Amino acid sequence: MAPVARWPVVRWTAAGVLLLLLLAFPLVFTQPHPRHVVITIFLFAMLAQAWNLLAGYCGQISLGHAVFFGAGAYTSTLLGKYFDLSPWIGMAVGAVVAVAVSQLIGYPVFRLRGHYFAIATIAVGEIVNTLMINWDWAGGARGLFVPIKRPDSFVNLQFHQSKQSYYYIALGLLLLAFWITRKVEVSRMGYYLRAIREDQDAAASLGIPVAAYKQRAMALSAALTALGGSFYAQYILFIDPDSVFPTALSILICLVAVLGGIGTLWGPLIGAAILIPLGEWTRIYFGGTGKAVDLLIYGALIMLVSVIQPGGIMALAQRGRRRTG
Amino acid sequence: MRRAIGLLSLALSAVLATTSTSHAQAPKEVVIGAIYPLSGNLAQIGIDSITAMRMAVELFNGKSDLNLPGMKKTTEGLPGLGGAKIRLIVVDHQGKPDVGQAEAERLITQEKVTALIGAVFSSVSATTSQVAERYGVPHMNGESSSPTLTERGFKWFFRTSPHDGHFTLAMFEFLKDFEKKKGVKLKTVGLMHEDTLFGADSGKVQEELAKKYGYEVVVNMAYRAKTTSLDAEVGKLKAAAPDVFLPTSYTSDAVLYIKTAKTLEYVPRMLIAQNAGWVDPQFVAEMNKDIEGHITRSPFALDLQAKKPLIRQVNELFKKQKDNPGGRDISEAPTRALTAFTVLVDAINRAKSTSPEEIRKALVATNVPADQLLMPWTGVRFDEKGQNTGVRAILQQIQKGAYATIWPFDLAAADVIYPLPGFKDKK
Amino acid sequence: MTAEVLVQGLVSGLLMGFVYALIAAGLSLIFGLMEIVNFAHGEFLMGAMFATFWAWALLKLDPLVSLPLTVLLLALFGLLVYHGLIRWILGAPMLAQIFATFGLAIFLRAAAQALWGADFRLVKGPLVDGRISLAGIFIGLPQLVASVGALCAFGLLYWFIRKTETGLALQATSQDRQAAMLMGIDTQRMFALGWAIGAACVGAAGALLAMFFYIFPDVGATFALLAYVAVALGGFGNVPATLLAGVIVGIVEVLGGLLIAPALKYAVVFSLYLVVVLWRPQGLLGRF
Repeated sequence: MAPVARWPVVRWTAAGVLLLLLLAFPLVFTQPHPRHVVITIFLFAMLAQAWNLLAGYCGQISLGHAVFFGAGAYTSTLLGKYFDLSPWIGMAVGAVVAVAVSQLIGYPVFRLRGHYFAIATIAVGEIVNTLMINWDWAGGARGLFVPIKRPDSFVNLQFHQSKQSYYYIALGLLLLAFWITRKVEVSRMGYYLRAIREDQDAAASLGIPVAAYKQRAMALSAALTALGGSFYAQYILFIDPDSVFPTALSILICLVAVLGGIGTLWGPLIGAAILIPLGEWTRIYFGGTGKAVDLLIYGALIMLVSVIQPGGIMALAQRGRRRTG
Repeated sequence: MRRAIGLLSLALSAVLATTSTSHAQAPKEVVIGAIYPLSGNLAQIGIDSITAMRMAVELFNGKSDLNLPGMKKTTEGLPGLGGAKIRLIVVDHQGKPDVGQAEAERLITQEKVTALIGAVFSSVSATTSQVAERYGVPHMNGESSSPTLTERGFKWFFRTSPHDGHFTLAMFEFLKDFEKKKGVKLKTVGLMHEDTLFGADSGKVQEELAKKYGYEVVVNMAYRAKTTSLDAEVGKLKAAAPDVFLPTSYTSDAVLYIKTAKTLEYVPRMLIAQNAGWVDPQFVAEMNKDIEGHITRSPFALDLQAKKPLIRQVNELFKKQKDNPGGRDISEAPTRALTAFTVLVDAINRAKSTSPEEIRKALVATNVPADQLLMPWTGVRFDEKGQNTGVRAILQQIQKGAYATIWPFDLAAADVIYPLPGFKDKK
Repeated sequence: MTAEVLVQGLVSGLLMGFVYALIAAGLSLIFGLMEIVNFAHGEFLMGAMFATFWAWALLKLDPLVSLPLTVLLLALFGLLVYHGLIRWILGAPMLAQIFATFGLAIFLRAAAQALWGADFRLVKGPLVDGRISLAGIFIGLPQLVASVGALCAFGLLYWFIRKTETGLALQATSQDRQAAMLMGIDTQRMFALGWAIGAACVGAAGALLAMFFYIFPDVGATFALLAYVAVALGGFGNVPATLLAGVIVGIVEVLGGLLIAPALKYAVVFSLYLVVVLWRPQGLLGRF
């Protein structure tokens, strides 16, 4: 468990230094690719944090989070395309849509437990993916181009000259996810969620409204994921069902969180900071061979980590702290 | 927490290690970035294309008397650039538009590539071309068949190959010609296309053109790509019984279609495929007699080598490549890549410079004559949208286990087999 | 839509359903034993299909002849995976287990491409080929043999679990690990055995499938997805129920394609599954 009760001065300072380093990064690294890698880290850390709210704190393991990501990406893009609305408004509407979808999905599937829940969320993800592929008004399989707006502006959330603005927006979204998670962690809701995770029946017998709190965690998680989706659409400027709705994306979000350590505040960021560069690095150095060596290494490393450190990297950090006192 | 930060800084340094590649640019070297699918469903297409381009790089860097664009020369390297050598950087986009985008950006800003080529998948070409447009770097494309790509008003995107509009037009032109020539009447068509970008585009164009040419579409269905069974799909076809069946499928689904059609004894009077799976050499070799009489649209025809010795010369070279196990014949995918690549290098050579603007001008001024092409086109000339206007789609039919050109009739090496003979080894 | 087309669809769906069921059986067995979902199950299937292909291409062995070899090979592979990977994550949280088997899936898929290339392959001219026609209904002989083979494999599996001493021990372990341990059953051995049998099932399915399906590194993905649904539909850990669930998946897939739209057929399968588990959260014949 992450330290919940006390946050001594040292920790605040350390977090402050980290934040400063992150703020300074684009000033030092002006090349687009390093920035792109860090932006992707932020995006996935944020998505994993959103997932963590539901899975890590509440114990509901969803393998269908791409649904919310895609809802965000498609809502903002469609509103921009057909109604010329600013992506920021689209982002907000996307979050609302994702919450609505999450409640619709949540109501039935929360009756399921453990693996049944996980497989059901995969099924939901596949159904939504299939429907989107066949929905012509939303671009169908051909996908959607985000209408290009020039010049670069914050209102249009499009920056063609430099990635710096994208970088800070992604960082902002990540901080938002952290702030919300932290708020939840120390609130009454956080205790309820953990109680549900540890023993759902016991929690219910203590008078915790289990179903309502699961739905709340799902809504928060979905809204945050949708924000990430809208950001992705504005960043890549092209979306299609295969890139924003696939089950592989849901699983990647889960992998990031699990690698870092679920149910912890810092796990998602650490997971993303390791997994994303690893994927980039193996692809850049070995992807050109046509022998899939990059994926070979990637897969082997994932297995290795899960065997050596099943609790995620945070467990390692915490064990270290316990040892040093 | 402190450990967490330690780990984070470790990870950050990993990012830096990832991204701080420092290729001191050797003088007089032209670097070209190739973005292709090298893993996943269409990996083989990417691998074959890269093999063909590596072969071309070797020829360009050495001496060669092949009559390909810019290749006939007595000196080593590119004469226009004082003998500069070409270096090809190959990357895998895994079929993902965001990976393609990131790679395009990295190749341009860090590897300092002079031009980009790729990316087979129309969805990936959509994002890589956006990056090229933003940085003002020429982007050559030889495979993506989505018409949208050249309708965006891009300055830096050039496509040598026909798009689905051209291809599908050819199918219906052929049908009309064929009806006239043979005095048969074909009234109905059935469409079956896979549900990714490729299939969706193809299905849409086919439906529009069928109406325009006066054919009734009796069945039009999308199906899930990489499906585990096509029983329902073939069942629907049997029930609708169109005269002409137009499938759009990649290799995996094409194989499954043949197997299922054979089991359910479904034989339309005529089958015209939208290339892809049907021109995969492996598919042709494996399905053998079962696809006798199948027609496909294609921009490339190996059997034209009788009329064009260049095709034979290139094919002999291709068979000897070490990345081509088993010495397979050159097929459509590598030929398309080779054509696009040689046109690009030729333009760079004519530009006499690696300045993007000079190369762009040279590309705009491209006028490759038909005799320098492996394709049966009238040449390579780009319109203001970057689309090659010299394209010509041909139709080929499997006859005795190999593709024979059947249309346009003036190029035809064989007569059309009609109706489809059906499956040989009936039990 | 004529009745003939519908009946044809039902028959084809039924035959395919038996194969789905056999793929799902291994998954279900492993889950029942140790509550682990093997996310590399599709890659096991791919491995079995490649084994069959190479036996045919290099040794000229027909898929049906090499079937025992493939089953044995996969059983050994199951043991290898258990001892090399699963044994180390037995006590780990569910997510770490998902993570591990998912990594294994990526690894195996990449290994297949590195070793054998990305080309599509087919077993040409298998011993059993062609089709028979009954009252206008066509039945592919390879499909027929595959489904009969799948049923036989199911029968064997059932007999083994219910009638042999080892099978009973396996069942005991699956029902109550602690009690089984107290009764002197070596649960570690049972787990290893479970992986061997689970992989053997998918080995048989792969060998049978290779008679009429193409083979390439990514072939397992869609089959595995249907297998997960079949397992959850039947009830996790209930092996006989997966037979029923597999057949339902096979038939609904074809009917969905015929009556609704081919593009939506998997959406129909998944929706049906959702409806069923909402009505019976533990699956059709599952137990909590």
